[in-house]
Amino acid sequence: MVEDKSKILIIDDEEVVLDSCTQILEGGPYQVATAMDGTFGLELVQEFHPDVVFVDLKMPGIQGFEVLDRIHSFDPTIVAIVITGYATVNSAVEAIKKGAYDFLPKPFTPDEFRVITRRGLERRKLVTETTALRREREMLRDQFAAILSHELKSPISAVQQNLFALESQLSDQLDEEQSNRITRMKSSIDDLLKLIHTWLRVVSADADIQKIQEDFQPTSIESVITKAIEGVQTQSTRKDIEIQIKIEETLRPTHGDEITLVEALVNLLSNAIKYSRMGSKIFVTAEDKDDEILISVADRGVGISEEDLPFIFGDFYVGEASPDGERGSGLGLGITKRIVEAHNGSISVDSALGKGSTFVIHLPLVTPNR
Amino acid sequence: MTEGKKLLIIDDDPDFVEGILAILEPAGYDVETAYNPKDGFDALESKHYDLLLLDIMMGRGAEGVMIARKMRKDPKLRQIPVLIITGIREQIAYLFPGGPVHPHFVDVDELVEKPVEPELLLDRVSALIEASEERKAEGS
Repeated sequence: MVEDKSKILIIDDEEVVLDSCTQILEGGPYQVATAMDGTFGLELVQEFHPDVVFVDLKMPGIQGFEVLDRIHSFDPTIVAIVITGYATVNSAVEAIKKGAYDFLPKPFTPDEFRVITRRGLERRKLVTETTALRREREMLRDQFAAILSHELKSPISAVQQNLFALESQLSDQLDEEQSNRITRMKSSIDDLLKLIHTWLRVVSADADIQKIQEDFQPTSIESVITKAIEGVQTQSTRKDIEIQIKIEETLRPTHGDEITLVEALVNLLSNAIKYSRMGSKIFVTAEDKDDEILISVADRGVGISEEDLPFIFGDFYVGEASPDGERGSGLGLGITKRIVEAHNGSISVDSALGKGSTFVIHLPLVTPNR
Repeated sequence: MTEGKKLLIIDDDPDFVEGILAILEPAGYDVETAYNPKDGFDALESKHYDLLLLDIMMGRGAEGVMIARKMRKDPKLRQIPVLIITGIREQIAYLFPGGPVHPHFVDVDELVEKPVEPELLLDRVSALIEASEERKAEGS
């Protein structure tokens, strides 16, 4: 079968080289194509999809080095070997620096050519296998998200659903202790489901964030803040925490995705509440300054020690215990940072142990003509 | 008001369905179940239902969406109100319960997240049936 044969392309301006190379490989498991100059050679690279390309370094028209560069920008997995008539170490080294796999000094014997061809093909096999493995790893990561979401979430959801049903069926028979027990079970399962959501978010974050950039549109910061605060209301009410908001009246919109921006801010607010004492206050401000929008979330909570600060945006960083012993998943800030960066923004933090933390999101303003 | 209303659940997770049945049946609904998309669609085509509760992630992927799409194309089926019950909120892209941003598959539909609180479930089911009946009354 022609398809199974390895494809070899030889680009050289000397017809005798092309003919002899073709002859040497004849009868082997190869499909050979030849080109007399760089321009035609590059056309063949695209049409013929060779596994290995031999390129003469010294040709009229496009130079060998240039051909090498273009082959690599077309498909970096193609193995390129240079043929050099002036077998100086310099040009060979230069070619290998440019990404050539090996070099073949002229004149060469049929055996030398066969050996180097075989080595080139082995290299090609390795490169394509590595690429396939990398692709497989990426697919596995996506699969992991699917498994997490379906295989793990489904049974937990089913348990919770049955607990809901059980509670309503027994509503007039449960005493207070029994009903508290059910409430605690429900809340544990709910935490578990939330944790799975957060994991899923991290696993799919990079892919998702690329997607959101496609639909960026002018987004009102005020609406983002309002929705984020609604999102943490239960949490803040439970700890009797007042959230004070100060939004500059003339605040202009940013270019972004409202849903993920709300998510980013919910994470910051939720942390601020988690690490604040009962009855404390949180301050949210938004203003535009120079060419950016600054959204800050300040709390008077436990704060972050100086040595921990560099790590807080990493995945799985969990702060010291909060005042009421709550622990986070260690993923919120990492996700927030990814979201903000996808918006071409940045996030900074200022914190003092025992005094509280202030997180500031910097976002670009909508520029005209965009 | 719930008396005699016929509902169909299409969901491939029998355990989850149990938890839904235990809420809907005591409320007076007559509920039938289908545990795969094929049986579900056959039932929809052969009998009359006042509402469909539809799971999205079934079988090899989002087969619930396929059912919704087929219903949309059928002038009779697209009048059945649908309550989509799904565990995949991020793929459907909505952040807060009650504020769904989802494609409207049929004339009357809504989306709730798994697991769903009994009160919310009963509330949505009766609201959807009511909305659909009002629509029909207006249309006729």
